[in-house]
Amino acid sequence: MRRRKFLILGILPAIFLMTFLFVLPSLWGIYSSFTNMALLGKEAANFRFLGLENYIKLFKDSSFYTSFVNTIYFVVGSALIGQFLLGLIIALLIDYAEKKKIPGRGIVYGIVLLAWINPTLIAGFQWSAMYDYYYGTLNKFLNLLGIQKINWLGTMPMLSVIVANIWRGTAFTMLIWLSALKTVPLELYEASKIDGANAFNRFRYITVPILRDIITVNLIQITMATMGAFLLIWAITSGGPGLKTTTLSLFAYRTAFEAYRLGYGSAIAVIMLIINLVFGIIYIRLFRRR
Amino acid sequence: MKKLLRLLPLLFILLLLITYSSAKPITIKVWYPDELGVKPKYVDKAAEDFRKAFPNVNLEVTRYKIPSGDFLTKLLLAIDAKEAPDVFHIGGTLMPEFVDAGYIRPLTAYLVKWEDWKHYPKSIKDAVRYKGHYYTIPYGLDVRWLYYRKDIFEKAGLPVDWKPKGWDDILNTALKIKNSVPNVIPYVIYAGVAGAGGTVNHGYVPLLYGVKGVAYDVKSGKYVIETSAVKKVLDFYKKAFIDLKLVPQEVLTLPKPWTTMREKLGAGELAILFEGGWVYGGWVTRYGLENVEKTIGYTLMPSEKGAPYFTVGGLGTCWYISSQSKNPDLAWEFIKRFNTREIVAKINIEDPHPVARLDSAELPEFKGIKYLYDCTQILAQAKFEPMAPGISKFGNRVQLMTGRVASGEMSPDEALRKFIEEMRMDFGEVIVK
Amino acid sequence: MKILVSIIFLFMIIFFGVPFLWLYFSAFDKEASAFIKFPNFTLSNFIEVFREYNFTRYLVNSSFVATITMILTVLIVAISSYSISRIKWKYKNAFLYSLLLLHSIPLSTTMVPIYGIMRILRLRNSYLGLILIYTAMQLPFLIWLMKGFFDTIPEELEEASWIDGCSFFKGLFKVILPVSLPGILVVSVLSFLGAWGESMLILILVDSEKMKTVPLIFYEAMRTVGGYMEVRYELVSSFAILFQIPVMILFILSRKLLAVSIIPGVER
Repeated sequence: MRRRKFLILGILPAIFLMTFLFVLPSLWGIYSSFTNMALLGKEAANFRFLGLENYIKLFKDSSFYTSFVNTIYFVVGSALIGQFLLGLIIALLIDYAEKKKIPGRGIVYGIVLLAWINPTLIAGFQWSAMYDYYYGTLNKFLNLLGIQKINWLGTMPMLSVIVANIWRGTAFTMLIWLSALKTVPLELYEASKIDGANAFNRFRYITVPILRDIITVNLIQITMATMGAFLLIWAITSGGPGLKTTTLSLFAYRTAFEAYRLGYGSAIAVIMLIINLVFGIIYIRLFRRR
Repeated sequence: MKKLLRLLPLLFILLLLITYSSAKPITIKVWYPDELGVKPKYVDKAAEDFRKAFPNVNLEVTRYKIPSGDFLTKLLLAIDAKEAPDVFHIGGTLMPEFVDAGYIRPLTAYLVKWEDWKHYPKSIKDAVRYKGHYYTIPYGLDVRWLYYRKDIFEKAGLPVDWKPKGWDDILNTALKIKNSVPNVIPYVIYAGVAGAGGTVNHGYVPLLYGVKGVAYDVKSGKYVIETSAVKKVLDFYKKAFIDLKLVPQEVLTLPKPWTTMREKLGAGELAILFEGGWVYGGWVTRYGLENVEKTIGYTLMPSEKGAPYFTVGGLGTCWYISSQSKNPDLAWEFIKRFNTREIVAKINIEDPHPVARLDSAELPEFKGIKYLYDCTQILAQAKFEPMAPGISKFGNRVQLMTGRVASGEMSPDEALRKFIEEMRMDFGEVIVK
Repeated sequence: MKILVSIIFLFMIIFFGVPFLWLYFSAFDKEASAFIKFPNFTLSNFIEVFREYNFTRYLVNSSFVATITMILTVLIVAISSYSISRIKWKYKNAFLYSLLLLHSIPLSTTMVPIYGIMRILRLRNSYLGLILIYTAMQLPFLIWLMKGFFDTIPEELEEASWIDGCSFFKGLFKVILPVSLPGILVVSVLSFLGAWGESMLILILVDSEKMKTVPLIFYEAMRTVGGYMEVRYELVSSFAILFQIPVMILFILSRKLLAVSIIPGVER
């Protein structure tokens, strides 16, 4: 019985700290989203409750819709299509190369991983140099090939940040698949070879079903991480040109720390929190089934 | 009794603590942003004078080597945390919003007693008055020029002594350069969010003033949108960016377009640019006065059809006293020691701006510089930046509107409609005519 | 097929490698630009970073924050995940899944509220605030990880030691600690890296000159170095490398351990 007390006591510090980071801020966010809290201008001197006004404004605010749609583009493009497919392909290739002893797999593995552990801000710095219109590496390469230079961040800003984010985050999917591929029982493969199934069918009918849960968990994880991406976009485009790369995270940041409207910024944060909780709960349901 | 004796050391410590805390010197904190390194010399000079006059006061001067936007955030967070410095240095246009937020203290009581106040012209005194009080003393005013490269003009067969006869002349000149001088950007006017303050004061506002438009109505305290004027401005943007493709789209997308464009004009890769007067000094340090005088011309901004020619004036950055300051009298003593005839003249010679103090302009070393003389001369033709509460929100909406037109995302009409809608959302009532 | 795979590998190496090559070349070049080119080798950028930008101070600050965060995190994680692993509790699963839920919420979602709460608690510009929040931010995942680790250690192990006459704590210390060392090592490395590399909250929580850390100073350098006219890529690159080095070293040293455990984690 005394032991149980110790055990309960042992959990408390963790609970306390997590309350401090997750619960209190959420409560504060909900509270302040009903106010006109601001750091500058008239509102800063006259704090008051607005009721639902911030939310009503938000749903009328075209910038909010733009950021919302941008977030979807960004997530679908860089996580669901980019990171997932590229990560899967790289994992399959490395797996294949391991079996056939093709050189270079170690370097690929290492460098993909390097892009992932690299602090995100640095990734942003590297890519803003790649994309620089006048002197950037990409355009100089095009120049060497005799192709007209492209205004990457002007004409295709969303694609540009998506590519940068694929670069940065592919390793995660690759790692999951590499370890998952090792768990697929080989006997099934052997059996199917005898049956005459080709490589694609083997993948489709044996690998995929076994890994279905891994796929869903992986997808939801990269979706949520990508939805929350902030620093990378911030460092490359700061959300511009116009609002073309402003996702919800950037919109919330700009509202709170550039327009200095904390109340309105909180309303955005609360909406984001709700979206994330919904995703999170789906994720956990799937995880639990596993 | 014994008990009391035991308490004695405790009392002694208490006493020590009290005397210590009361003897602690008064501290005056001064914060200012400076990336270029011009200001520190003069701030230090003022600080030195201050320390001589008040040897018992601890003056803490902090220079922040960051862009002024980042400094503003830092300052606001400090004010919010009740840790504001006594004196700080921010743009003159922010004054109304700072007053409305209750962050700064009026200087009226000090100024009426300050004998140097008489050296400031009425126009400037009016500009720093808000809700019946003076809040700051400008020292170096901002003017803006339409800069152009004389060497490029020569190559294009254009007269080097340029005085554009209206907006069309600017566009036509740029078009001629585009067609005759390769590898040169003909013209740049800032637009979009990336252009930040430049989009407002170097782009939208000079154009708006060129059609006699106004942005804010002081009497009613409301923003004004004159649809026909704004429409003309947006049409100009459309012509420059989309129809004639004179301004490159990178202006909308570079992270800090102004640094690149200033660099390009200095290097002779850009022909026409409306920019701040202070940029001239940057070119002079880099390329030498003689070179710059030979290659870079500057002229006033024309109205839509030519005259009246004008510049967009600004109060520059100025010192303010925080309303949180416990020693405003001492804070004022510091501000006073910065705004002396000498310092105001010298800092504006080094970082060329026209002076707000008329007697500083009389100093021979100031008078002797042609560029500064020109800048001071055009003050009479200056129309000042709009100063109004919520100016940053307004600026943000302007950036969005111009960006939408300049990128081709929307037609001028659509962008204007959206602008009105957004301004109403931000400010409630807006005068639309 | 082999050739095709090799060609794809080559493309991957170029795509993932060029940005790094550019970074390393630039940092050791006298005059770098946004274009990748072979450097005129020099160390002067690094010297300038230390001399002109007072980098040592930020290095000390960052190391301090990351180390204390690491110690605190390891302590809390070890104790609480052991407790969770051993406790019999109706809501244990619910608790574990809520940990996973907390972990999956990206930090940028709660950024504004975190700022708000730290402002009320007067924990802006304070290492205490920073350390607490860095610790808290990593707890859900690390507890989840470590709890799984403790689950693999049979309970009989410590029970045997208690029967042998060891006290509750002594038993844990002598029996459990040694076997859980690899797990603790993983937690240490991950928590150190988490605190070292965090660059989002630091933007809004710290602005005092004295307290800046390496990520913050890198961010500022990226935004401002060169100032009026141009970006000084060579200088910012050397900032970047100094910021990155500890991450790389720790990662390489412990990659065998990490590779196994990092997989269920979402990067923040």
